[in-house]
Amino acid sequence: MERPPIFHFNEQRADLQRAVVDRVIAEARDPVFLLNDAAYHEIRRLEPAGKTDEALEWRKLARMLGGLDRARATEILRDKAMWYAKDVNGNFDRRVYAFASRVLPAGMSVFLRPNVVAERHPLEILRGDAMAERIVTSGAIAHIRKLAELGTVVYVPTHLSNLDSPVFAYALQAAGLPPVTYGAGVNLFTNPVLSFFMRNLGAYRVDRRLRFELYKQVLKTYSSILIERGFHSLFFPGGTRSRSGGVERKLKLGLAGTGLEAFVRTSAQGRPRKVFFVPATINYMLTLEAETLIDDWLQEQGRARYIIEDDESTRLDRMTVLARKLVQMDESCAVRFGTPLDPFGNEVDEHGVSHDHRGRPIDPLSYVVRDGKPALDHARDAQYTRELGEVVMQHYLRDTIAMPTHVVATAAFALLRRRMPSADLFSLVRRRDEIVLPWQDMHDEIERTQRRVAELERREDIVLSSAVRGATATELLNDAERALNGYHSHAILRSREQGVALLDPKVLLYYQNRLAAHGVAWEGGIAR
Amino acid sequence: MNGNGNGHGKRPKLSVVGGGAWGVALATAAASAGSDVLLYSRRQHELRRGITQTDDLTSLATHARTILLAVPTTHVRDLARELGDHLDGHHVLVHGVRGLVARPTNDPAWEGDDLITISAMLREETPARRFGALGGPVLTEELAAGLPSVMVVASHYPEVIDEVRGTLGGSSLRIYTTDDLLGLEWASALVSILAIAIGFARGAGIGAGLMSAFAIRGVHEAARVGMAAGAVERTFLGLGGFGDLLAAMSQGNRPEVRLGESLARGESMESTLAKLGQRIEAVELAPRVAEFAERHKVEAPILNTVARGILARRPVDDLVQLLMTAPMSRKA
Repeated sequence: MERPPIFHFNEQRADLQRAVVDRVIAEARDPVFLLNDAAYHEIRRLEPAGKTDEALEWRKLARMLGGLDRARATEILRDKAMWYAKDVNGNFDRRVYAFASRVLPAGMSVFLRPNVVAERHPLEILRGDAMAERIVTSGAIAHIRKLAELGTVVYVPTHLSNLDSPVFAYALQAAGLPPVTYGAGVNLFTNPVLSFFMRNLGAYRVDRRLRFELYKQVLKTYSSILIERGFHSLFFPGGTRSRSGGVERKLKLGLAGTGLEAFVRTSAQGRPRKVFFVPATINYMLTLEAETLIDDWLQEQGRARYIIEDDESTRLDRMTVLARKLVQMDESCAVRFGTPLDPFGNEVDEHGVSHDHRGRPIDPLSYVVRDGKPALDHARDAQYTRELGEVVMQHYLRDTIAMPTHVVATAAFALLRRRMPSADLFSLVRRRDEIVLPWQDMHDEIERTQRRVAELERREDIVLSSAVRGATATELLNDAERALNGYHSHAILRSREQGVALLDPKVLLYYQNRLAAHGVAWEGGIAR
Repeated sequence: MNGNGNGHGKRPKLSVVGGGAWGVALATAAASAGSDVLLYSRRQHELRRGITQTDDLTSLATHARTILLAVPTTHVRDLARELGDHLDGHHVLVHGVRGLVARPTNDPAWEGDDLITISAMLREETPARRFGALGGPVLTEELAAGLPSVMVVASHYPEVIDEVRGTLGGSSLRIYTTDDLLGLEWASALVSILAIAIGFARGAGIGAGLMSAFAIRGVHEAARVGMAAGAVERTFLGLGGFGDLLAAMSQGNRPEVRLGESLARGESMESTLAKLGQRIEAVELAPRVAEFAERHKVEAPILNTVARGILARRPVDDLVQLLMTAPMSRKA
């Protein structure tokens, strides 16, 4: 097998930046507008941040823009585009990759399990076996491995946690799939715990604060060129981590849409590069940031949304506890790879051939041909990408792995709602007094939930984790209780003599939300 | 790739499926607009210049990039599946079917059917992706006779709208557009049910003032149902919804209106349908829509009255009473 192009990343770096800038400049219709727009946004961003020198430079530029001819404006635009291209450009260090992909799991256990570090020989920890057993991979792995040699694979997984990208990178490695490049938010680069993983694994920087056209063009072009050149890529099409804990219901796809652009561009150049989208789910028995996210989600319902800068993923102690929990439980973190799709939502077989819904083979080029030639069409391609997003979401549901915490939280929340039938979302989750659900009720409701997810699994509409399949209600309750209590800042539910006490409905809401879009759990906690 | 919708200097090409009055009217309008039209029909027709006929789907698919479907809801899935074997991704499918199709639901908490739009069904049955729908206050006879008419085309793809305008639009057919494809499809289907209520009210001798109230309330009700399916309210209040209903009200012979009138006069469903000499899809659609509204907790007294009263042959006086006393949760 040829080495994936990401291993030649550094040799290509300068060339890549140049290619990005050349294309941005060639396709810039109005250089003065792009500079003006950038200047306006940058001054507004930089001045309040106290970066007066940079802001001043933009101010000077903005003042002279009116008198520039096109050639001079283009020249300046080229400089600026290069500056942003360098800012975006990530780093892939082959040695770090080799080291990290072996060490990553152990690396996680190092900060997740400090006691183990003390007990074991360092080399043993570096093998990473402990974590390898914990991240379970499943799905169309062999299929994807073949496609990775026929074209560029674009992974589009669900997004719950800041741990997702390192977990996914590890899952790829564990599944024998080639590494990926991905765009990570700048906040992950400044996160003291996660930055190690982000910097040297082919991640490039996406600065969500930069909202002007020039930056967007650089970013999109960068991503498209990577895919055109065969860099397998990872995007979280949900944009941000799911606040509610629910499976994504709205996908913008955003940068992932450059997968289609790359396909059209290479086809138009007569050297079509096939692009395969792979929906995937990253499933956790426990989510690192559950409490912060559900809080944020509830506040967002009151329109007080903010970008979280500081959450559980910046705190070593919380990650330590989480890791200890995950390592103690079977299949506590599972990555499932879905059926590969072409950019038009058709399923792709192992030979890279697309098939429509009725199984007919179909040439994806036919979707983008206009007057006999493949051509870009912004409005058309944006709509294709929206429709692809809808198909990806259906795959998310199908590939969701239901775990004991989800099933038990669903049952508990259903009983809670039955007890307070007229209560709205907020009165349900803000209940501070302790609610004790009788054993028998809890037992019956867990069984009922389990039957419903089993029925969905039979129809291939969900996947059950091994801990859910065939488990008794008592086992499920024990598993969930063991997982939930001790990791979160306080106990979530606890078995008592008279029944099961619900101590934090908010966190239960978070976990039950995973099954809401499937029609199993209450939908009031995800829909608006 | 064959077919070149609106290439410069060349006559635009269009394929039409459906030898009924609606299909022939569409083909006629396209030919009048200067398009080279191929009509797929198994029956022989006398056609005006500019329209050729075929019974071969391969020729139909290679003739033009854009294919108009004008067949009854009951046949459209089978036809689409057959047609799908001859299509690829470059084709544009536009339908003028005023109905919705039932599909078994995936919802474990509900045992009935889901209602999906024709374009959603076309997505399942064909490899095409670029769909559009026709709707609005256009009347078959007027279109066929070349009288000035107005139509609405909906699509998520601007190029589909361009294709329809380029092949069908002309000096006697003005085409308005929307990107609310699902909304137009639902509006067209629901207006056909409301038209039964209008006919019934007319047959029952209801005065003009009350009639107008029924029409307006009916459209608002349809909009609420449509919104539960994901439509935009505006679409119902415009040409594709209210406009379509107004046309039905002022035109005496829309089959749904005639059905309602005749039922109000106490005639049986069978004899009325026999007299009309055609299937009325709204008859089967109405109970499904009532069920849909119930499931989505949308109040729909008029649609319900059509489904569970008029079509279920409850006594006439009761029905007027029912319409007059329906809950008034909304402002006028």
